[in-house]
Amino acid sequence: MGLIKEFTKGLIRENPTFVLVLGLCPTLAVSVSVTNGIGMGIAATFVLIGSSLIVSLVRDFIPDKIRIPCYIVIIATFVTIAELCMKAFSPALDRALGIYVPLIVVNCIVLGRAEAYACKNNLARSFLDGLGMGVGFTLALVLISAIREFLGAGQILGHTLIKGFEPIFVFGMPSGALLVIGLLLGLFNFLKDRKA
Amino acid sequence: MKNNLLVSGSPHIHKPESIARIMWTVVLSLVPAGIAGVIIFGLSALWVTLLAVLAAVSTEFVFGLLTKKKITILDGSAVITGILLAFNLPSNVPLWLPVVGAVFSIAIGKQVFGGLGQNIFNPALVGRVFLMASWPKYMTTFVKPFSIDAVTSATPLAALKEGKIIEHLSYLDLFLGKHGGCIGEVCILALLIGAAILLIKGYISWHIPVTYIFTTALFTYIFGAKTLFAGDWLFHILSGGLILGAFFMATDYVATPLTAQGQLIFGVGCGLLTAIIRLWGGYPEGVAYAILMMNGATPFIDRYTKNRIYGTK
Amino acid sequence: MSLQELLTIFISAVFIYNVILSRFLGLCSFIAISKETKPALAMSSAVMFVIVMSSAITWFVYRFLLVPFNLTYLRTISFILVIAAFVQLVEMIIRKVSPYLYRAFGIYLPLITVNCAVLGVAVLNIDMFFLKNKAVAASFYYSVFQGLCVGLGYTLAMLLMSGIRERLELCNVPKAFKDFPLAFVIAAILSLSFMGFSGFKS
Repeated sequence: MGLIKEFTKGLIRENPTFVLVLGLCPTLAVSVSVTNGIGMGIAATFVLIGSSLIVSLVRDFIPDKIRIPCYIVIIATFVTIAELCMKAFSPALDRALGIYVPLIVVNCIVLGRAEAYACKNNLARSFLDGLGMGVGFTLALVLISAIREFLGAGQILGHTLIKGFEPIFVFGMPSGALLVIGLLLGLFNFLKDRKA
Repeated sequence: MKNNLLVSGSPHIHKPESIARIMWTVVLSLVPAGIAGVIIFGLSALWVTLLAVLAAVSTEFVFGLLTKKKITILDGSAVITGILLAFNLPSNVPLWLPVVGAVFSIAIGKQVFGGLGQNIFNPALVGRVFLMASWPKYMTTFVKPFSIDAVTSATPLAALKEGKIIEHLSYLDLFLGKHGGCIGEVCILALLIGAAILLIKGYISWHIPVTYIFTTALFTYIFGAKTLFAGDWLFHILSGGLILGAFFMATDYVATPLTAQGQLIFGVGCGLLTAIIRLWGGYPEGVAYAILMMNGATPFIDRYTKNRIYGTK
Repeated sequence: MSLQELLTIFISAVFIYNVILSRFLGLCSFIAISKETKPALAMSSAVMFVIVMSSAITWFVYRFLLVPFNLTYLRTISFILVIAAFVQLVEMIIRKVSPYLYRAFGIYLPLITVNCAVLGVAVLNIDMFFLKNKAVAASFYYSVFQGLCVGLGYTLAMLLMSGIRERLELCNVPKAFKDFPLAFVIAAILSLSFMGFSGFKS
């Protein structure tokens, strides 16, 4: 399999959010606005790439029995770096994302990639895999948050699109997030069945 | 439905009862409340109701085409959903509001679960809480009854919540519906006429409505005032959507428990939740939320109130 | 510590900010294990136990290790390690002491380490009950109580959902909406109905 494919598979074919249905907690919680979605996506991508690289580097030294705790420590280190950077450079975003930044540690996508991919593949492949998954996650977040921000506040990135559109507040609320992801998953299933 | 499932040998007498017949009777039983709503709030109440019904039926039709199932618009169930949704709206909402609400009710509240007989939640209430969360400003401004230039006024419950003194409202006014509120909930007299039809026909049983209303009354009587046992329970029965909810929405065949015992639990649960939300919650009215929550608990109630099979332990 | 404060924590943790339906913590396990009531109940009790215990442990770690030595930036790493170690320990003990209990809910324990609800509550406790790294009065009791309430909220959502999904097995659900999508739609409606409790005053 070519190196390019390692990257592109995370975008659509194995999209972590819509196909693998992993890491939903941050996806739903922070997708109120596109800005938040992008911020969360970048933070998660950073953690994914970093942890994939390190895990791939040390994969031959870690004893099999305690590999999961080792991965968690590696991931938590990168999450802490991301958390501190965010606090330093973008306090507003940090406040908006709240407890969901430290919770990247327990995001199943990150641990899942370390366990399923990075511990079996070399550096370059793991890097591309991490990048692809991260970008795929960011794309999904942007899609969901764009839908929610448009419907719930009538805006995209703070710009009003249609004059006179009455925002549907519910999409800015938790139940709206659940509704959007449920309907999107249903829609994708429907399209998949059509093609098959 | 009464519990008259007796098994006996043939020949059986055939009864012309069918889903469509029951559903259209329910529609008929809702007509008095609708007429009262139009008399009290004017023609706009009629347009809201008609649009909601039309939107509900069309959505049902489109989903029938999409899923290639039998088209079920003639059985009247979508009509009921449309009417009940409209009855839960103020009469002065913009006309697109009932349409959006009805589409949501049928699509998300009913068809996603598989259509008639499969919905977990009451579709009309799903639509109502969706509208409530989405456009609260339209859902909470009410028109004063019999006013030509649409003066707004608060519902008795909202006034109570804000701590205002309720201006000269007698129990008779509340009973006849001479106060602000949703289209179908204000006239208790008309609602009781409709409820009587359903009870006499045996289409609904007394268990849920009676326990529901009684529990709410008891709870508001005990905790409804500064001192215990001094609450105005009659006011709580006659105002808000309690009567409409108890007789017409908490008695949905599909989304409520099957056995009498389960229905009693359901009624008490609805009553408690309604009273708690009214007395201490952020919203003035809790009927819709209470019934939806109990709808969610219904599969669970059913599981623990199964009838014992004769001869088993 | 006042009764009023406890009641506020209870209502907001169980209903208004329900851990699953409003904060989306533990959503993965909620969707994956809520197909039947029995495993759902076992999972909920395991989660409740772990949340309560880890609330207590992380409080001690934060109050007596991280704050005195000025290491609060190690919060995330230390918490997840402590939780993972604790869960591992419980699993080993249960396996030795009671094979029956192990079969009933032990298999869910490893999953709980990466359940965001556990770490989430630990972080939330610190955010809520430490002001500028100083513990507010009775913050330990509040933390443990909040852990318990969040566990109760998790159990409530889990029970409702598993009951509903068991019934849906018999229903003629459109093919595209089978399983995951419908589970999310149901969660959305439950979340809408729990909004009835918003703005609660005690």
